[in-house]
Amino acid sequence: MQETELRPKPTETAPDFSKTSKRFRGGRALGLLIGTVVLFGAIALVSDTFLKPYTMFIIARQIAFSILIALSQAVCLVVGGMNLSVGAIGSMATVILGLCFQELKLNAWLAVPITLIFGVVSGAINGLIITRLRINSFIVTLSLMFVYMGLRSGISGGSPYIIPQDFGFIGQNAIFGVSWIFVLVCLILLATGYMFSYTVFGRHMLATGGNENAARLCGIATDAIVFRAHVISGLLAALAAVLWASMIGSCAPETGDSWLIGSFAVSIIGGTGLNGGVISIAGIFLGGAIFVLINYGLIEIKANPYFANSFLGALILLAIVLDRIREIVGESKHKS
Amino acid sequence: MIASDKELPTGSLALRRISKSFPGVRAVDNVSLDFYPGKIHALMGENGAGKSTVMKLITGIYQPDSGEMSFNGKRLAPRSYRESLAMGIDIVHQEIQVVPDASVAENIMLDKLSLVSTGGLVNWRRLYEEASAFMQEVGLDLPPSTVVRQLSAAHKQLIQIARALAARATVILLDEPTSSLSLNEADNLFKLFDGLKKRDVTLIYVSHKIEEVYRIADTISVMRDGKLIGTRTSAELERRELVRMMIGRDLREQRIGPSEVNERRIVLKVEALTKARKCRAISFELHEGEILGFYGLVGSGRTEFARVLIGEDQADSGLVYVNGKKAAINRVSDALFRYKIGYVTENRKEEGLFLDDSVLTNLTLLVWNKMRHPLTRAISRKKEQEAAGKMVSALSVRTRSLADLVANLSGGNQQKISIGRWLLADCDILIIDEPTVGVDVGAKEQIHQLIWNLARLERKAIILISSEMAEVIRLSSRILIFADQQIIGEVTRLDDEERSYRKVRDEIGNLLSAIH
Repeated sequence: MQETELRPKPTETAPDFSKTSKRFRGGRALGLLIGTVVLFGAIALVSDTFLKPYTMFIIARQIAFSILIALSQAVCLVVGGMNLSVGAIGSMATVILGLCFQELKLNAWLAVPITLIFGVVSGAINGLIITRLRINSFIVTLSLMFVYMGLRSGISGGSPYIIPQDFGFIGQNAIFGVSWIFVLVCLILLATGYMFSYTVFGRHMLATGGNENAARLCGIATDAIVFRAHVISGLLAALAAVLWASMIGSCAPETGDSWLIGSFAVSIIGGTGLNGGVISIAGIFLGGAIFVLINYGLIEIKANPYFANSFLGALILLAIVLDRIREIVGESKHKS
Repeated sequence: MIASDKELPTGSLALRRISKSFPGVRAVDNVSLDFYPGKIHALMGENGAGKSTVMKLITGIYQPDSGEMSFNGKRLAPRSYRESLAMGIDIVHQEIQVVPDASVAENIMLDKLSLVSTGGLVNWRRLYEEASAFMQEVGLDLPPSTVVRQLSAAHKQLIQIARALAARATVILLDEPTSSLSLNEADNLFKLFDGLKKRDVTLIYVSHKIEEVYRIADTISVMRDGKLIGTRTSAELERRELVRMMIGRDLREQRIGPSEVNERRIVLKVEALTKARKCRAISFELHEGEILGFYGLVGSGRTEFARVLIGEDQADSGLVYVNGKKAAINRVSDALFRYKIGYVTENRKEEGLFLDDSVLTNLTLLVWNKMRHPLTRAISRKKEQEAAGKMVSALSVRTRSLADLVANLSGGNQQKISIGRWLLADCDILIIDEPTVGVDVGAKEQIHQLIWNLARLERKAIILISSEMAEVIRLSSRILIFADQQIIGEVTRLDDEERSYRKVRDEIGNLLSAIH
């Protein structure tokens, strides 16, 4: 704070207007990039199969999923909330897609939109309860997580649904050697980046997450913003479920069970602010890559898979601790 | 050590040449005070005078930059609230701090639960017994097992005092303890104070209520702009003199300039606007080029009215006309985009600014809608930077770049940004709430000049809410006096050369004392 105060008044220089908002925190993205490259190099050294085109295809597809699921979480984190029902909405969407195919014999042009509409509706339910009744998003989405998980088990009985063979096109094929899913998710990620950097809606989301009271007193319809964030979150989770089904060639009800921790891990590693108001598109991309590479590396070094969650938890904690240390260092620099 | 120690009775608390600064503000400036056991010592002053900071220095929440404190003849330098509590100095905060779902007894004995426990288990019978003793002392006639949540504010206030007694506090600091109490409840509290005096407890009392202070205080000290203006016994201090000490007579009381109000253009007309517990039958007219001051104490209904007017809270009844036409304001965006009414909030850090965001974003967010490309819907970075750059220069905001985080600016520069945002949005009517709280003298002058220019040169209509009388008198062409959620009087013709600052001040004082 004192820097501006202590500067001698007469020599006041004209402000430098060339720099704009530092939404993409340069330092962090660079650190993540280095981390990704190091991980990539290390795995390439110990593994013979890693650099093969097929492995790359699989890895890219996994990265795409982790990004998509993280985005579903991040849009809620950005407005100062959270969505614990990300995976449960995915599970339920998978069951609905399966029912459309197997029981109703619908074609994909009907089944997919119905599934996506479910995602929108489930997000809208989250958003409505949170904004209308002023209930904490943690409680609302936690309860609905269990509601959906129960529904999907009850309806499906646990066994997968059969889906048409040609539905696997997007999930299993590539364009110029790159997974369609990866291409699609990259486009979604870029669109999200555009939204947060350039559109009024995106920047209103950031403002709402940054200081909801101030945003409301600036005429921003903060309730509508939070509502829409949850709708987007539900839609992305349902989309991830559709793509997942396309990838594995069936509708497995346990889809989504592992998404929740991943969605937080990638968002947090990628620098999404837990108190809202901050998101980094580059960070989420690199966070997704690191997340997948670490999982792959653990398999490669034949680590006991039963311990996988411990690594993940430690990784999330490490990302938060590093951020906090940087904040503390930054604060003490200001004081000196 | 402190020179005059010998003369102080045992148990006295002494401050010598204490100073404390925050970035941009000298909150406490070379203050020396003595507090004696068995006396009630009132600290008075306007908002931002430094009273709370003094309280926080005594209780170890802040540490002084320079100066010394002594207590009972020994050096006092608490590094935390815990340390001051261990020495027998406790504070009862204005905001009631109790654990709502615990019993009265637990709340009183909160930090002493280990003393009434054996082997980690709480001995409830002993807890209730010990707590009952303190409850009796403060006149809390309840079963000690009563859950606190359902109790009144007065009871909760008494619990806090009982807690201080349980902590064996011999010095108790009270920060506006009656602000949430009814008259009757306050009476009971004062009786309790008499009892504490007899037991030689030192009471340090911060209050804005003049009546109350005269009723209970033995000694009154007045602070202004971080400095101690004087300490008198309440018997020898005349009420007028007290007000004069609090408000001061210096350059600030000169009118900033003649106003030029266009009486024929009524920009805003409010008729009997009412909302339960917020504002009662508020009616007035606001003219082009006018600065209309809202003066009153904290909680008198000024901010509450503003929030109803801009649609943040919904009115129960009443009418609003903007430019002669009936206005329907249901939310803040209606006020801003349809009627061009802007509201600069009083707590810029809590409700005004996006502290972790850039100067750019904080300035331009109201006008993003107007900066969009017709096809791509993208906000033009170039237009945004132009607009923000112009505003930064116009208000001479000191920042290195538009990308700087607002959190890193000084209070004065932050305030300029929260006003500048509404100027960019081209509001015709601006409500500015406490514009110079926590701002240094230089920035204060600039902000005054800015507000005055807006009315005089840009012909805006401005409502200025301030608890600082000098500020209101200096800037306003007319002042409405608020108390108890309603307008209790109006002071006009402030431009009149004949009317000295003193006359206007006395007029306001008379209006206020008539209702108390």
